[in-house]
Amino acid sequence: MIRTVNLTKIFRTDEVETTALNKVSFEIKKGEFVAIMGPSGCGKSTLLNILGLLDNPSEGEYFFLNNEVSRFSEKQRANSRKQNIGFVFQNFNLIDELNVYENVELPLIYLGMSTAERKKRVESALEQMQIAHRRKHFPLQLSGGQQQRVAVARAVVATPHLILADEPTGNLDSAHGEEVMNLLASLNQGGTTIIMVTHSQRDAEYAQRIIRLFDGQIINENIKSGHADIPVI
Amino acid sequence: MFSNYLTTALRNLLRQKSYTLINLAGLSVGIASFLLIALYVQHEYGFDKHLSKRDNLFRVVEIQNEPGVGEQHVAITMGPLAGSLKADYPQVVDAVRFMPGFDIQVVSYGEKFFMERSLYYVDPSVIDMFDIHFLAGDPKTALMEPMSVVLSEKTAIKYFGSVNNVTGKSMKLGKRSFLITGIMEEQPQNTHMFFNILVSVSSVENLPDFEWMKGWGSNSLITYIQLDRPSSQEPIERAFPDFLKKHVFSQEEGWEYLEMYLQPMNEVYLNSQHIKFQSVSASGDINLVIAFSVIAILILLVACVNYINISIARSVKRSREVGIRKVLGANRLSLIYQFINESFLLTLLATIIAVGMVELTLPEMNKLLATDFRLDFRDNYLFNAGLFALLIVISLASGSYPAFYLSRLQPVHILKGGKSAKGNSNGYLSKGLVVFQFIISVGLMFALLVIHDQVKFMQKKDLGISYRDAVFLPFGDDESGEHFEPLKAELLKNPEIKSVSGSSFINGVSGSQGPVFVDDSAKTKLTVRFGYVDYDFFEAMGVSFASGRNFDRKIASDKGAAVIINQAAARKLGWDNPVGKKFKPIMGADTTTKTEVIGVINDYHYYSMRSLIEPAVYIMAPDRFRGLVIGYYPRADQQKVLKFIEDKWRSYFPGTPFQPVLASEYAAGSYKNDQKLFSLFVYFTIISGLLSVLGLFGLTSLLIEQKTKIIGIRRVLGGPVWIITARLIRDYMILVLLAGLISLPVSYYLLDQQLAQFAYRIHISAFHMILSVVLLSAIAFLTIVFKAYRAAKANPVEALKYE
Repeated sequence: MIRTVNLTKIFRTDEVETTALNKVSFEIKKGEFVAIMGPSGCGKSTLLNILGLLDNPSEGEYFFLNNEVSRFSEKQRANSRKQNIGFVFQNFNLIDELNVYENVELPLIYLGMSTAERKKRVESALEQMQIAHRRKHFPLQLSGGQQQRVAVARAVVATPHLILADEPTGNLDSAHGEEVMNLLASLNQGGTTIIMVTHSQRDAEYAQRIIRLFDGQIINENIKSGHADIPVI
Repeated sequence: MFSNYLTTALRNLLRQKSYTLINLAGLSVGIASFLLIALYVQHEYGFDKHLSKRDNLFRVVEIQNEPGVGEQHVAITMGPLAGSLKADYPQVVDAVRFMPGFDIQVVSYGEKFFMERSLYYVDPSVIDMFDIHFLAGDPKTALMEPMSVVLSEKTAIKYFGSVNNVTGKSMKLGKRSFLITGIMEEQPQNTHMFFNILVSVSSVENLPDFEWMKGWGSNSLITYIQLDRPSSQEPIERAFPDFLKKHVFSQEEGWEYLEMYLQPMNEVYLNSQHIKFQSVSASGDINLVIAFSVIAILILLVACVNYINISIARSVKRSREVGIRKVLGANRLSLIYQFINESFLLTLLATIIAVGMVELTLPEMNKLLATDFRLDFRDNYLFNAGLFALLIVISLASGSYPAFYLSRLQPVHILKGGKSAKGNSNGYLSKGLVVFQFIISVGLMFALLVIHDQVKFMQKKDLGISYRDAVFLPFGDDESGEHFEPLKAELLKNPEIKSVSGSSFINGVSGSQGPVFVDDSAKTKLTVRFGYVDYDFFEAMGVSFASGRNFDRKIASDKGAAVIINQAAARKLGWDNPVGKKFKPIMGADTTTKTEVIGVINDYHYYSMRSLIEPAVYIMAPDRFRGLVIGYYPRADQQKVLKFIEDKWRSYFPGTPFQPVLASEYAAGSYKNDQKLFSLFVYFTIISGLLSVLGLFGLTSLLIEQKTKIIGIRRVLGGPVWIITARLIRDYMILVLLAGLISLPVSYYLLDQQLAQFAYRIHISAFHMILSVVLLSAIAFLTIVFKAYRAAKANPVEALKYE
């Protein structure tokens, strides 16, 4: 489903040149649940942005659903993104002015779906995330865990092939964090590919594989084998 | 999708109540001001639009240059001009002469009599050229015969109670009887030439008193011509010098200088400030229309700038939403659409509020300007279309920044950690816009100070005459001599009444210009205003003598053989000691012998301060008096005195309406227009100032909110509160000063041009400039000091935690 070859991202300001990703190559198959780990500034988010078609790499190739997308225009990326990828963010990124229902509905609107179809899908996603009773509430009226459940509902409502989660439990206490992780795990069991950036070893446990990044390079690709003594950097 | 945008927009507006309020208040006040001014401008441009041939109609204007008055443009022309133009040029399709009915004061039918002011002698061609529609009578013949009169609908009703069976009746105009040959539809009020009674010019043309109408030496009629096409104007104007040579200079001596040109009908109302002797019922001023249009646009710009500035400041918050929407699949177009939509919604709301505001303030403005403006959505298509265009333009102007800027942002840059969308360029844009607003505010404030001083100057300036505690009573057509003396004696019995004297008018002059010739070998000519006044006029009106003496009852030759001149006349003639100098007999002024100057009065303003005091010659000629000037003591109860006068008046002049002209009202009248437009100007300047301040307040609040982190760091590092506050304020003060530097030279130039219209004016000083900048700085300072101080004072821990 995803294959990268020598993916490189360089940020330039007037004086400083920072290599955020340095020749990163890996592959992720359909249905996998992959965690990307590493210390702050190692390039996790940059990688996620490129995988999520929010940004283009400076060099290298990126095959997404068998297409080479690394040179896609913004418009092409936006198109591919809205059909295939769902996002879950650490800070939820819900729109404060829209209520739960409307937030979840948003991706479907941009897909140009009919009102009836939208209603069916939104309701079903809300049910699935057990947040339907809050459909009229606004984000600021919800707890962090509830907000993240809304965000997950929004990520899945368009039934994307891929869900990208950027530290989904980072702003949650452990109980709520676990709740969200369980949701992601069950989505994965339903066949959705999930790539998750996390600092948390515990969350990474939910993944089948962990990619460790350090200074923009992969230092360890580890297929989880059920035991917990994974070296931490 | 639209409903989603609408929900977001509405909730956004509701959530940020204070900024929504600032935006809404600013935009609606701006739009309301714009609409009010638009109504005024539309009214001014709406004059004479009822004339279907207006594009082909022209008024003939003369340029004279006579000793004493210098170059002057006048709208009065000679009697034979219209006919000769038509005869000489095939392009002149038609021509009409208008002569105000000077000799007719009172119009009567049976017991009903009124003073009529909108009465003209005209050629029959007026009916076709001026699109006059008849309700009764035959338009083809109505004004052909002498002693024919056509009445307007309202006038007919005033005298006869209805328009039916009025034609064929006769009524008295002045002393003579006229046959009513037609009833015309009422003329609209928004015309420079309003008339309600038209008399055939043939009624007077052949009278001995009107012999001058046949010659080329006297100007008293207004001539309009109709050309075959507008472009014929130029060839005809080119032929005018030859035309004048052929008709005027060959036959008439005494013209020092004469030129003619054609003024398009479409320009007569607004572009005639430089033209004298217009005999028009209304005249506008293109400069004022332009000035107010500019103010309207400036106010609107200030309001839009407020919106844009607040949008820029808020874009930090909005950028997160943009990021999310983009991640979820929004493209640029849909985001642009969303933001424009949002500003459209706000503008629509503001427009609705503005229309309400206009409805509320219109009665006040109508009272101020003595107008009858109405918001008319049903028939005023131009206004509706304009309003809609305004809505779109404002929506685009205010919504375009957030729309195009924010939609360009990359989600990557804004989502993570809520990084702001604020780059350096924004700072410059915001500051540039603030400077722009202050340029407008400083300019308007400057103009306000200067105009205020000019108005005050005009009010305070010694006019040289006391327009107080006096009243003028026009005689009408009654032969004044007969009842004048007994009435005067009767009036003077009242101890409250100080003096009674005959005069041309309350200001002592009759309005017409004419030549006088010095009794010397060169027959030196001077064009003067004539005044016909009584022995007591100058004393009653507080006009003082520079030298010589007043007319004296005891000296018989003072009647007809003596004149009093003003200093302007003496100056123009170069006379240091005018008393004793002589003029040739004065034409048309009832002096048969040479006249001797017996006194010189100090110059006084008989007209407004826009015009120079022209040379004037005063003659004691009772049969030229047009009424009585009655002076009363300041202690007198004006109402009681007027009642007393009226009672006496009615017993001596039973057939003349009692229509007193109060001296104070006459004096106020010449400046009323300046004053009411000045107050209007004050209002709009204040509005624009308030809008700028409002915007500045909103902007600083937002910017300070964003700066809390920097302020927090400074505080943690030990920066004292006052230095931090001062730094925040200094940034803005620099902007105000910069705006002043740009604004003042431009405003100076524009204002100086406006002031040049006044013959008596103030000069713009550095004081005006400094004060306007100081005032604006003070206002800006007060606006931000509180916010800045509070921000600087805030607990730095709170500020730092915020991010």
